Amino acid sequence: MNDFGIIFEAEFLRRIKSRAYLIGTLLGAAMIVILSAAPALFAHGISSSTHRIVLAGDPALTAAAKTLLAKDFDVSATEPAPANAPTLADLAHAGDAAAVVVFKNGSGGLDVTAYAKDAAGFRTTTLRDDIVPLTVALAVHARPAMISSLLRDFTVDVRSLDAKFHDEASANAARGLALLLVVLLYLAIILNCQGVLTSVAEEKTSRIAELLVATTSPAQLLTGKIVAAGVTGSIQIAVWLGVGLATAAGVVNSVGGPSGGMHTSSTSPAGLGSIDLPTSVIVAFVIFFIIGFLQYATLYAAAASLISRTEDLGSVAGPLVLPVLAGFLLAQVALGIPNATGIAIASQIPLLTPFVMFTRMAVVTVPLWQVILAIGINLVATVGIVWLAGKVYRVGLLMYGRPPKLAQIFNVLRTS
Amino acid sequence: MLQLTDVHRSFGAVQAVRGVTFAIPTGATFGLLGPNGAGKTTTMRMILNILVPDRGTITWNGTRIDGAMRRRFGYLPEERGIYGKLKVREQMAYFGKLHGLRDPLLGKRIEEWMERLEIAQYGDRPCAELSKGNQQKVQVACASMHEPEFLILDEPFSGLDPVNAEVLLDALRYLQSTGATLVLSSHQMYQIENVCTEFCIIAGGHVRVNGSLGELRAQWPTRTVLVEPSSPMLRSVLERIPNATARPHENGTLAYDVPRNFDVPALARELVAAGDLTRLERMEPSLSDIYLRAIGESV
Repeated sequence: MNDFGIIFEAEFLRRIKSRAYLIGTLLGAAMIVILSAAPALFAHGISSSTHRIVLAGDPALTAAAKTLLAKDFDVSATEPAPANAPTLADLAHAGDAAAVVVFKNGSGGLDVTAYAKDAAGFRTTTLRDDIVPLTVALAVHARPAMISSLLRDFTVDVRSLDAKFHDEASANAARGLALLLVVLLYLAIILNCQGVLTSVAEEKTSRIAELLVATTSPAQLLTGKIVAAGVTGSIQIAVWLGVGLATAAGVVNSVGGPSGGMHTSSTSPAGLGSIDLPTSVIVAFVIFFIIGFLQYATLYAAAASLISRTEDLGSVAGPLVLPVLAGFLLAQVALGIPNATGIAIASQIPLLTPFVMFTRMAVVTVPLWQVILAIGINLVATVGIVWLAGKVYRVGLLMYGRPPKLAQIFNVLRTS
Repeated sequence: MLQLTDVHRSFGAVQAVRGVTFAIPTGATFGLLGPNGAGKTTTMRMILNILVPDRGTITWNGTRIDGAMRRRFGYLPEERGIYGKLKVREQMAYFGKLHGLRDPLLGKRIEEWMERLEIAQYGDRPCAELSKGNQQKVQVACASMHEPEFLILDEPFSGLDPVNAEVLLDALRYLQSTGATLVLSSHQMYQIENVCTEFCIIAGGHVRVNGSLGELRAQWPTRTVLVEPSSPMLRSVLERIPNATARPHENGTLAYDVPRNFDVPALARELVAAGDLTRLERMEPSLSDIYLRAIGESV
């Protein structure tokens, strides 16, 4: 085993056996379970009270409305029109219903009033959308079922000219997936780089660094450390991703499945459990994770090598969060306008590329020359960053005292 | 043999090492001495190739020092470093592997060196739980367990009590017996004088003196004679010696620096004739005397 292997093994075991790593992984997994399950569980918990309604009014109208509302509401009863406005006691009497909805055929058409227990939480839009066929049917003297059928079958066929996706739904799904993966990429890079940062800082502040560079080359030391942090960080991310997907699938099966009775909505986690990752997106994710991690990890290592006290870590490494954040925010913009000139340019800029180009590739078909150019620029930039950061790391490991100013670093680099 | 020839190294405007030249014969134990900021640590770092000289050459047995060679060297830096969470055995195994040791030799050496430095009972304890002195012995073990052909120890006795200093001296004597070339830097002159065979004193980045203790003493211009009792008659004899200088000494003893080639037997005869002489001793200069003179703070 060469020095790289020895350093990698030691770093890997040290990190993976550390209490902080184990606790962090478990806490992260627990948080993901909670975050994945919470929306569905909350939705499940409130569904019975928000979906149960009572219909009142002309029996012909309430009968027609009951049919139309059945898919989104639990109609517990139909009653004649009340003489007075319903009260909370009436709702409680009707099995804790969310509202009494009164239907009248007025001079201006269908007149609907919902007496809701919680007006803000009542699903007014859903109710309105469901009974539109009834009001149209009354106006044109047609059967509500026929109008409902017409509206249901009427769609606008959007066809994407981009060959990547066949329709809008696929494109939207890709955008959702890209957002999820960019967040994961951001977490993967930030967390792994934090690992490198603390590892280098520990060796620098405990003065063990000099002992190490007397035995092996700083390049091997840095490489072993970065690869070990990358592997342990990737394991952590994989655990979190697996737990997240498993939880989402479990939630869908137990709560959101056909037998669970959960009503679909735009915020439903349904579908997470059946995410289908295209191979090209997985490959792009891996490539841009490696490039991004290498660029940022070496910069973080160089920054950590300049400090003498742990307290200085924030001031030296803090500015390095800015390009990561910029890349992450630009990726959000790229989700909406992936082919805008500014976004296309940003996707070629080292440190931003991993986020922006990956997002573009996930949501549109990026011209091959742009992908090759971005990877080429970033590989060259990575070599440059690794070379420069490696030099700072080599010099920084032996510098003690106050964190050096930029001019001092350049001066030492020039003379080293 | 380690050979440094006209080695220079600057950090910005600061010239830390200016034209250092010395040689350390294979198997020698070499004391590298000097005040704080003299350039010792920079010199040692250049020997280990941690820093690259601006000018000059450093060779080991005629070859420039490279990575493979460095693996056979050992180093205990002045600023101690240790992985606090690692157990003693794990720490030693890591550094042993970095120096090329593999099982079963690695395990054997770990046990041997823990025994030698009397830290075997701490083998399965995290290093952070050990006392400072025991942590230092762990670091000595990490630097020495591969039984290097060349070992640099910067202030190895610092922080050790007399008993543990003796344990370390025994370990150094063991390394001497293996034929290792040792370089020791320390301000504890007594231990350095006892264990080293060659010395180099540097100050301000320059070599002031170097050689064996005998050679350094041979260059010393005076010797000290101690005479008892401290009577006026005996004092008058000493006062008559050309270029003799009285030195402060404890009560009841007369101490004078006399020229190196002064005829001591003749002085003995004069003193016996002058009174009731009970003690006459000719003292060689100590390493401490030579050191202080070399760095310009004494004599």
